[in-house]
Parts: sequence; structure tokens; C-alpha cells
Amino acid sequence: MDVNYQIPRLALLWVLAALLLVILPGMLRLPPLILLLVLGCMGWRLLIFSGRANYPGKLVKALIVFTALPLTVLQFRSQGVGLDAAVCLLILGVVFKLLEMQYKRDIVIVIVLAYVLTMIGFIYSQTIPSGVHALLAVAVITGALVSLNRDNARNNFRDNSRLAAQLVLQSVPLTLALFILVPRIAPLWTMPLPVPSNKTGVTDEMTPGDISSLGRSAELAFRVSFDGEAPSHDRLYWRGLVLDFFDGRTWRRGGSALLDYGMIRRYPSEYRGVRQGEPVDYDVIMEPTQQTWVYGMQLAEVTTGEIVQDRNYSLHSATPITQRLRYQLRSWSAFQTDLELPRALRSRALQMPDEDSNTRSALLARELRAASTDDRDYVARVLRHYREQPFFYTLNPPLLGEASIDEFLFQTREGFCEHYAGSFVYLMRAVGIPARVVVGYHGGEYNPFEDYTMVYQYNAHAWAEVWFEGEGWVRFDPTGAVAPERISQGVEAVFANQPGFMEDSGFSMMRFRDTQWLNTLRLRLDAIDYAWNRWVVSYDQDLQLEFLEDVFGEKARSSLLWALGLSTALIFSIAAFFLLRGGQRQLRDPVTRSYLALAVDLAVMGLPRRRGEGPLDYCARVSAERPELAAAMQTVTRLYVQLCYGEQGVGSEELRQEFRVTLQTLRLRVLSRARRAGLVAVSAFSRPQ
Amino acid sequence: MFSEPTMSLVNAVSFWFSTRVQRWLARNVPAVSIATLHRRNIFILPTSHGLLYVAATTLIFITAINYVLSLAFGLAFLMVSLFILCILHTFRNLQHLTVKGIGGDVVFAGEDASFTVLLQRQPERMHEALELKFPKGLITRADLIEGEQLRVNVYLPTQRRGVLKAPRLLVQTRFPLGLWRAWSMLDLSMRCLVYPTPVSCPLPTAVSNSGVGKGSSTQPGSDDFHGLRNYQLGDSLKQVAWKNLARGQGLKVKQFVDSSDDRFMLDWAMFAGLDAEARLSRLCYWVLKLARSDVDYGLNIPGVVISPGRGDVHRHRLLSALALWQQSQYVERLNPRPSKTGDAV
Repeated sequence: MDVNYQIPRLALLWVLAALLLVILPGMLRLPPLILLLVLGCMGWRLLIFSGRANYPGKLVKALIVFTALPLTVLQFRSQGVGLDAAVCLLILGVVFKLLEMQYKRDIVIVIVLAYVLTMIGFIYSQTIPSGVHALLAVAVITGALVSLNRDNARNNFRDNSRLAAQLVLQSVPLTLALFILVPRIAPLWTMPLPVPSNKTGVTDEMTPGDISSLGRSAELAFRVSFDGEAPSHDRLYWRGLVLDFFDGRTWRRGGSALLDYGMIRRYPSEYRGVRQGEPVDYDVIMEPTQQTWVYGMQLAEVTTGEIVQDRNYSLHSATPITQRLRYQLRSWSAFQTDLELPRALRSRALQMPDEDSNTRSALLARELRAASTDDRDYVARVLRHYREQPFFYTLNPPLLGEASIDEFLFQTREGFCEHYAGSFVYLMRAVGIPARVVVGYHGGEYNPFEDYTMVYQYNAHAWAEVWFEGEGWVRFDPTGAVAPERISQGVEAVFANQPGFMEDSGFSMMRFRDTQWLNTLRLRLDAIDYAWNRWVVSYDQDLQLEFLEDVFGEKARSSLLWALGLSTALIFSIAAFFLLRGGQRQLRDPVTRSYLALAVDLAVMGLPRRRGEGPLDYCARVSAERPELAAAMQTVTRLYVQLCYGEQGVGSEELRQEFRVTLQTLRLRVLSRARRAGLVAVSAFSRPQ
Repeated sequence: MFSEPTMSLVNAVSFWFSTRVQRWLARNVPAVSIATLHRRNIFILPTSHGLLYVAATTLIFITAINYVLSLAFGLAFLMVSLFILCILHTFRNLQHLTVKGIGGDVVFAGEDASFTVLLQRQPERMHEALELKFPKGLITRADLIEGEQLRVNVYLPTQRRGVLKAPRLLVQTRFPLGLWRAWSMLDLSMRCLVYPTPVSCPLPTAVSNSGVGKGSSTQPGSDDFHGLRNYQLGDSLKQVAWKNLARGQGLKVKQFVDSSDDRFMLDWAMFAGLDAEARLSRLCYWVLKLARSDVDYGLNIPGVVISPGRGDVHRHRLLSALALWQQSQYVERLNPRPSKTGDAV
């Protein structure tokens, strides 16, 4: 190692800039003390750079490390040894290395770690901005490498950034080929996941007020793209969880979630439901919820993705959804489920609160049932009750007390979908009809630019399922009885002007949906984001195959490696052609070349031109040794010198012609002499080097 | 660490390998005085920094797999592409560079011989961060970005007198990212003459006392008796004045001078008792010393007699004679010009 090595000053600035750029997005995740330490170290390095501080001594270094480590452990103690702590330690390691880097190897280690830190950013965010940020970061890191390896006048900001940008851009075609064609492998082992954010969407509990609070949020829940035409708005029921346990106030999942989940794989096929009608295929990209359940239309069959279905036909992912998740489903519009209701499920669908204070509601149910001919008729009467009594559909329902059903049905009569669904199921159960609450989303906004539907948090919805003998579970939406436009046109149409709608979203573009061009812009931006997520972020094995089958047909799977090898070779060759072409021009002009050829001929006769011997000296020597060649040699030399160095000689076609002729004659004479002397075989006519 | 036979085996293998490499180079990159670097004489391999970079890329790739991060895959592939593209850029930085061996300056053994090399570029190519070096020599850095050509000196330590044939010149570069090293080993058939190391010593005659600079007529020789002086180590026993010793006047040496008074012959016999190389070194010192003074000087060593004269050319003749003494195989081939050899064409 070169002990006297000095890091080029500019290279150091590049490295600092690259590190700052790489750490920037993660800065807010660092505890403030650690952030202070990181910035302090970088500042110190700048001071060393400008000669105002020294490298830290051994003691100081030890002090820094032994304060930083316990500090980090302390900061992250509550979260356990997670990813955040690991990232923090990595960043600290890099900035400490920064302080002691003196040799080229040190600085290269820092640069290489900067690449790794760029990757860390993707664990937290894979949006378009973070992609652009990473590309920029790679360019700057590459610039640092260039600056480190260049020690001349061109080691300046402009030339370095130009070369770095050139290198990165030239790498793009090969990157794309590799991205598309390198086989994607399933994870080798499970990794600790980032600390969940607090976004959850629809939860597995429903207390009056829960879902209406989601109405305040314009966050995206998921996006769906249909193969073929999208079903009409009133059919877009995105079924999530089944809540069948009621404690008088809150609806929860009955039984244990684990049981539902554990039973999934052991269902006999008759529990899968009877599928009828035309299936519709669609593709869902879900935003992270930190929960395991996902959404689909009843009755769904999973076609791709790590999704399983439980006993209640709800869909689950194997792990909590911490990143955007893409899966594909096929749903049947007509279906029958649970024609035979098992005893356990039946009792769960009839469960009533242990201490029930909703006496008036129970009484109402019995009265209505007594007046009905059968269960179907009873349901119709209950719905008519909602429609005919002065019920209001509102995003801001009044708070309810202990006997929530009674209060809602007889006093406030203002509620959001959870009020209607909850009370409806209660009324069913009160007269012994199996029923349950289903939560999920309803509706969605169609984006014409990429042909998909966006479902937002404010689309959250709750409805009911009632079980009839011979029909199985049937969906009823009591909200539709109160506010039919909610079902046919969507929640936006109902609440556009109601206070509270999308209130939590702050300054959202959603507020300007009435301004035509702004709304178009919003939809376009979301379309770009959707395409990015669909084709880049969720690009996996399945999508890879799907894409390749579109391009190469059925044999895509087997030709993947071929395609990879060929395209890599092709791109490399094209790059090589453009980078390495040209330049192979002869360095010497033809005059010098033929003169040198003469020297080679003469060398065969034992008169090689000596190293450093000028044309005139050589001529004199040849003339002395071979008087018979003297005259011709002198002419050739005179012409040669004139052509190369003479003032009017250079470029004169006449002189050149004369030179060519005399030289040719002379060479022929020389060669014939050599041949006669047996010095050279006829073909042994070596080219001058 | 290793037992004796193991070491000798290692040596044998490395010797066998290096001879094979040399032979391969001789066949594929033959000796020339001008070499243009191209596909067939440029080699390229990753550097240790390149391997570090590959390790980081692998780490990113594995993380991408485990966290299922599509963009991290993208980053890993971008790094792979950069790495591959860098092959072309590093190669390009040497490609079409013309290296011309101009020759070496004369040098005294033990000093660094300086070989001059002319680098030429094609108008549309630039060559940055070039490193030129002989095995065991110092690195010379060069950038060929502005002028069409550039003269650089590459240094090589010398050990013994004679003709030094420059070993293969290593021309290498790690530009632009330091991830790959492209190099070429060129035999530019450069030679330089290495004079013996001058070793200072008193001249075992009266000359030094009587003052060479004054144009004194006394020059050490063997013709006429000139006087006596004290014995010094290294004096020939033949010249000891035994009679004076017998008279109890101490150990004296008889001094002789040549009859040709203004001329001074440096003689092999002056440093009797020393081995040949030591004599040559001392003679070399005295040639240099006399060349700075105002006398004609000549040289008489076994097989070579150069009559006295002066001037740079004369000095170079004497020094070459010393350098090449008993290395007759080179005498014929060496161009006996004292100055730097000029450009060929």
C-alpha cells in the first residue's frame, strides 16, 4: 500500500456528497442523537479536509465508538434488534470509517458501502421518487469513483459528472435486460421486517364510528385492473373479513382467527362453494396494511400470489402486508356458499351478546317476524323499515351509548354503514336467522388512463350476509335501503360536500376533483404510479413469465436463459462497437511507410537501419557499402526528406509520384539482389512494423 | 514456514510458470520499438477494489431476493452493468495508445536508469491515469489528454555495469472506476549503458599531490623514476623501494612518470591488489575527475588501450570501455554516441 497516498481533495468532496445524498431519505428514521453524531462526523471530515482539524487520535476514536454503540442500543431497545437498528449501525460504521480514511482502500470501502446504503432505502420505500433518488445516488457515487481514479486537469466537477452520467446511462440498456430476464428467485430465508407504520385500513373489529372515520381518509387502499370489462359499480363489493361475534357494542371475528386460518388447507371441495356464471379475472395491488387479510370479490378463487382462502371465504396473505402486494383473483358473479351450514358455524352466526340491553330492538324484530310469511319476507320488511323510517346516512354520526342498537334504531337514526350493517345483523339474529357482518370496501374510482380502478380508504364499507335454507349465504346491504346512490354511484357522490369527508388527508388533490384539468392530472399521476407498481415494483416470477409469454410465446420458460445470454451478449457487443471502434488508422503517412519498407529490404541485405539513425546518415552508409545503389538511394532519401520536412514538399503530389516510382524501382533492385544472393525466399517480404 | 523441499518446489513451479509466461509473451507480444496497444496485447482483470464492488453487488442482490425488493434487484443489475461496461471503458483507455521506446540515458550502476518512452494518441482518444513501470521499478504516472504525444521517463534501478536491456515495460491503467486493471507488457527493445559505480579513492601516484589542475607535467607511468612517496594500501609490491626500506627509511614506493609529460594514462595496474570490478569503479571515478580537470587522459586496461584525449565524446569512450570491459558481446551492437539517442524517423 502506498503510504504516502493522498486522497485527491476533490474525490473526498464527491464521497461526502454521495454519502449525504444516500443517507438523506433515511435521516428522519435515525434517532436525533445518532443523526447529530452522523452529521458531526461528516462535518469533522470536512474540517480535516480544509486543514482546520486533525484526524482523530486512537483515544478519541475509541471514545466515539464506545459512546455511539450503547447509544444506538439504548435508542432501539424498545424495538428490539430490528432492521432500523442494523441500518443505524451501518450508517455509523460508514461515517466512522470516513473519519479515519486515509488510504485508497479505506475510501473505496466507504464508496462501496454507499452503494449498499442506497439499497437500504428501498426496504422502506420503492416509489418513483426513491427510484430516481437511487439513480442519482449511483451517479454521484460513480462520480466519486471517477474522481478517485483520475489525477489530472480533468478531475473537475464538470468532467467527472459528465463521465459518471455517461457511464450510468450507458449501463441502462443492460440493466433493463437483466431486470427483465434474470430469473427471480424466491426468498432464501425470512428477514426481519421494517417497523410497521400506523396505516391499517379496515380492521378486524367494528365499533360504530370505526368505518366512518376511514371516510376521512383519501389514502389509497388498493388498485384493481380487470381483464376485460369492469363490473358495474354496484357490484364492486371488496369483501374483507367476516365479523360474527357481537358483544353488544363491537363486532369481532368469532372463533379464533387462527382456527379459521388453520383450517384453510383442509377444506373438502364442497365448502369451496358452487360457482356459476361468467368468471371475471382481475389483478390487485394492495397498499401495505401491516395486516394479513386482503380483499376480493365474492366468490373468489386465487390464481396467483401467496394468498389463501379461509372458511369464511376471506382471503389472507401468509405474512403481514408491509409492502405493496400484488395478487390475481378470479371471481364468479353467481355462486352459492355453505348450502349446508355446519353446526359450529350456525351457532356462531346466531350468537347474541351475553348481557343484552337492546330490548326494544329485539321486540321490534319479533314483531316484524310475526307479521312476515317467511325469512325472506322478514328481511324485506326490515329493509323497508330502514327505508320508510326517517334514517339518515351520514359520515358524522352521533356517539352511541351502551345499548347501541336501540339508540341507533329508535333515537339517533343517523349512521354510517357500520350502524346499518350491525343493527341489521342484530335484527336477523334476534329472530333466529343466521347472519353476519362483512367489512371491506365498496366501489372505487375508474382511471381511464391505465384502465384500472382505485379503491380508497373512504370506500370502506360494511354490509351483511344472511343464511337461507337451500340458498346459502346471501348478501344484503342495508345501507342501500337508506342511501341507494351510495351503492350505485359511490360514497364520493353522497358525501362530496359533507364536512369530514377526506378531512384527514390535508391538502389532497382529491379535493379538486371538480376542476376538470386538475382531476385529469390527478388521475394521470396515479396512472403512472400504478404502472410503476404493477410493472416495476411488483415485477416477480409470475409477471416475468407472463411478460415473456407475451413476447416469446409458450416456450418462454425454457428460453429465458437463452434470451438472457443472447441479449446480454448483444448489448455488450453494441456497446463495444461504439466504444472501441475507429482509431485503428495507420499512424504513419504512406510516404513514411514505404520508406520504412525499403529499410526492411535493405536489412535483408545486411544493411539494417540502426536505432536513431536519421535518413541522411543511413543513406550515406548504404551508399558507402553498396555503391551500385548509391544514386537511387540518394534520390529516394532526398525526396523523402523533402516530402516529410521540406517546406513545399509536404503535400506535393508531383514529388510524391516521383518518390513512389524511384522507391519502387530501388526496392525491386534491392530485392532481386537479395534473392540472387540467396538471402531471401521469394515470399519472405516482411512488412515494416 | 515451509520446509526446504517445499520451498524449492514452490520456487521451481513459480520459475516454470514465469518462464512460460515470458515465452508466451515473447511469442504473442514480440519485441518491437513501437507498439500500438490493441486487442491482442492488452490484458484485463478485475482489481481488488473491483472484487470489493462485486461483493457489495452480491450483498445487494441477496437482500433483494430476501426482502423481495424489485428496485434493489434493479440497483444490483445497474451495478453489474456498470461493472461490465467498465471493462470496455478501461480497455478503451489503453486501446490505440502507441508506445515508442526511445532509449535510455547512460547511468552509473546503482542509480536509476531512465528510459524515455514516447506516448502517442489518436486524435479522438484520450488516455488518462496511465501507469508505466518496469518490474521492480518505480511507477511513472502519465495522462495523455491534451497534446498528441508525450515523453515520459520510466526508471529502473541498476545494479551492475554493462549494457542494461530494459525488461518488459508494464503499461497499465485502472481508469475510469478502478474496478478493472488493463495492462500490456511491452518489450520495446530499449537498452542503456551502465557505467561502473564510481568509487572515490586517492590516485596511487604523486599526481594528486602535485596538482592535476595546474597542468603539471607529472603523470603516473612506468617510464621514468620520479621520486618516492609513502606506501599506501593497494600499491604494487613491485614498486616498493626495498633498498630504502632496508636503510630503515620506512616503507616507500617508487613513483614513475611517463615521458610524454602532458598526458595522463589511467592504468589497470594502478589499483593492483583489488578485484576487477573494484578497479573499474576506481578507474571510473578518476575518469570523471580527470574529465573535469584540464588534462588529456587515456586508459589502459587489459585488452583496451585508449590514447589520451579530452572532451565529452572521449570521456564517454573511456567510460563505455570500462562499462563494457570483458562484455565484448555487446561492444559491437552498442551505438557509441554519448548523447541521448535521437528519434528514429
